[in-house]
Amino acid sequence: MRLDIAYRLHFQYDASVSESQNEIRVRPRDDRRQQVLSYRLTTTPATRVLQTRDYFGTTVDHLGVRGPHRELLVVAESSVETAPIEGDPQSVSCERLADVDFVNAHVEYMAPSQHVQWGDLINEVATWAVRSAPDDVCARVLAIVQAVPTVLTYERGSTSIGVTLEELVDGGGGVCQDFAHLAVGMLRCVGIPARYVSGYLFAVDETRPEGNGADGVAPAAVSVQTHAWIEAAVPGFGWYGLDPTNGGAVGERHVVIGHGRDYNDVAPVRGVFHGAAEAEVDAEVIIAQPTAPASMVTEPIRRRSNVAVAPPTAAVADHQQAAQQQQQ
Amino acid sequence: MADFRRPDAEFAAYDEAFDRDGSVRPLYAAIVDRFSNFDAAELRRREGIIEEEFRRQGITFTVYGDSQGTERTWPMDLFPRLITAAEWREIERGLAQRVTALNRFLADVYTGEGAAMADGVVPAWLVQSSDGFERNAFGISVPHDAHCVIAGIDLVRDAQGQYRVLEDNLRNPSGISYVIENRAAMTRAFPLVWEDHTVEPVSQYGRMLRTALESVAPAGSGDKPLIVILTPGIYNSAYFEHAFLAREMGVELVEGPDLVVDEHVVYLRTIEGLVPVDVIYRRIDDTFLDPVSFRPDSTLGVPGLLGAIRAGTVTVANAVGNGVADDKAIHPYVTDLIRYYLGEEPILGNVETYVMWEPDQRAAAFERLDELVIKPVGESGGYGIVIGRDATEEELANARAEIEADPRNWVVQEVVELSTLASMCDDVLEPRHLDLRPFVITGERTQVFPGGLTRVAMRKGSLIVNSSQGGGSKDTWVLAPGTNSGAAELAGEPSMDAAGQESAR
Repeated sequence: MRLDIAYRLHFQYDASVSESQNEIRVRPRDDRRQQVLSYRLTTTPATRVLQTRDYFGTTVDHLGVRGPHRELLVVAESSVETAPIEGDPQSVSCERLADVDFVNAHVEYMAPSQHVQWGDLINEVATWAVRSAPDDVCARVLAIVQAVPTVLTYERGSTSIGVTLEELVDGGGGVCQDFAHLAVGMLRCVGIPARYVSGYLFAVDETRPEGNGADGVAPAAVSVQTHAWIEAAVPGFGWYGLDPTNGGAVGERHVVIGHGRDYNDVAPVRGVFHGAAEAEVDAEVIIAQPTAPASMVTEPIRRRSNVAVAPPTAAVADHQQAAQQQQQ
Repeated sequence: MADFRRPDAEFAAYDEAFDRDGSVRPLYAAIVDRFSNFDAAELRRREGIIEEEFRRQGITFTVYGDSQGTERTWPMDLFPRLITAAEWREIERGLAQRVTALNRFLADVYTGEGAAMADGVVPAWLVQSSDGFERNAFGISVPHDAHCVIAGIDLVRDAQGQYRVLEDNLRNPSGISYVIENRAAMTRAFPLVWEDHTVEPVSQYGRMLRTALESVAPAGSGDKPLIVILTPGIYNSAYFEHAFLAREMGVELVEGPDLVVDEHVVYLRTIEGLVPVDVIYRRIDDTFLDPVSFRPDSTLGVPGLLGAIRAGTVTVANAVGNGVADDKAIHPYVTDLIRYYLGEEPILGNVETYVMWEPDQRAAAFERLDELVIKPVGESGGYGIVIGRDATEEELANARAEIEADPRNWVVQEVVELSTLASMCDDVLEPRHLDLRPFVITGERTQVFPGGLTRVAMRKGSLIVNSSQGGGSKDTWVLAPGTNSGAAELAGEPSMDAAGQESAR
């Protein structure tokens, strides 16, 4: 499926700021299943963009603006060709999860990470989720992924980054990154390696929370999102992608930007600015399917990003505690 | 007459100055002789000179979390530690070999193929689960592979007098300023000791470090690269050292807000405008370096710095991510890394270490935990260490439980009866345990700075020498080759006159 994606990021400050520095992770990755045909990133005001690739293989655009400004606009345009997923993993006994080689190969995705910490509550929820699953890794993964929407209700704008998994479950609501974090945490605590995936979802299913035609969009129209889902490691198969927010499969409408241990490794935007200002950041995605029949696409649909983007942090005064870091 | 208390005969540790039957080793003959001629009051007077010297210059060390206040005058014991030229040559070779291998390892982990992991020398999972493994450093190459421009390697001497590596410090090793200041204080308090000994100077450190830092400047920096020292500021325990090194090297001491990144180039703000910076000798931790890539709440660093490093316009020393190589869990593998990368036998051995993630080693260690030392891998500065023989049953049971819950987080080492050396305690010179932290500098090549920081546990019997735990220090003399390194010829020659003049001064 050919998709044209425009990611539009607009920083607005209520007063002039002197400097802003950012890392942007919005370029779809190239892999077996998807091919990036073109990618272009522009900024206003113009600045030199440095492109690198990080540890997880995600493309990073580094950019900064120095000198007083009140807004910064970043537009990243990609064209990508995706293919359907090639089949589900076979049934495999949970004993294989304890194989030393398997454990050692997935150590990064089994331990708690910044946004994926668990305690008794998450353990309980995860154990409950797999209580009647057979001795099959895939069945357990599915059981957990399908349990997530029974624990969390989809609530647009209901959470922000920095909420723990326990608070999330207590609160009972969240957006796609919360669904993904909870699934990753539940999988890890039953011994299944799991990672967080950041990407775009080109959704047409109006029954699903993220493609339900809100914002006055006609239900038949093509809806677009930035999105987060998960991948679980299945012995003998590899990474098995599933979308906890939409209750199941990942397919050619899912466009991967990158993966990491959690949101922190693949946040679309990380940034700071200097200045006595309040920042507002708007992220918007526009996806078009240029080869689709005319009846499906009349014009691209605009929608606010579904992944909460942390507003950039204002640099504050020096801090004694931080200065007291260990010297060797 | 100052009294040298001899080490107890049944004492297991190696004493640097006296052999088992209580006679002076030839190396120490002249200095013991000289000190014997001072009475206790005279030694106390000179101790006062040393203390005054440090106080006057504001040379302090900070002990965090102490109700007595955190700032202490730097404690230096007046009896020096001596090392012969021949002994030093071996140490030097061993250290250069070790740091070369560690730099190769860091290059392999961050910019190479991960060959040592692929070949099973170090388990890949151990690297990936190291707190010091910095994914933000992935792909950043360093000129000459000098990831550790400055390394501090902690050496101890076992009961046989063998030097062994206790720990590697590859991130922000501190203490070099004290080496230089200890020498200055020693000279002030004992101006005439140099008559009996030709000692390698320590004053060239600033030049040596500066040359190394210049050599890691990015290509195109010109022949006079701009170097700055980046400090977290006056609240940091080693702030004195940061200021000291800036003065010694003749470079600017800066804090994060003094630097700014524009289009992936780091600039120093000066009254003449922005000046591009080539090398940053940073004394702040990785996670504070750049709030964009690391902790967004950090105000100590420079926003955009990681991008500039990746763009290759600036070099940061020590490099980002070195913590993976001085992880105490990686330490047991360093001797194998030397064999692997250099094809040489390690000149300096490790202290024998059991890794808790290997079931056999763990079982062996658990059988005699009360004889071993238990160390959390993530701490430095001596925090969190349990010494088996001093621990209660309950403490040992707790340690066992903690190890079983998270084996990756612990190593267990054989007790090394750290060597001892006479140190001024009340009115006598008594044996106290000590270690040695030499500093290894890497630029175009790897060099070892003569001597290093001798740290001494001032409490009787204590093996914890860390400055942050109230340890003291000693001036450390590497004797010049071909001089009185044996010192035997001086043993019978009392330096009464010299000593007399000194005390009359």
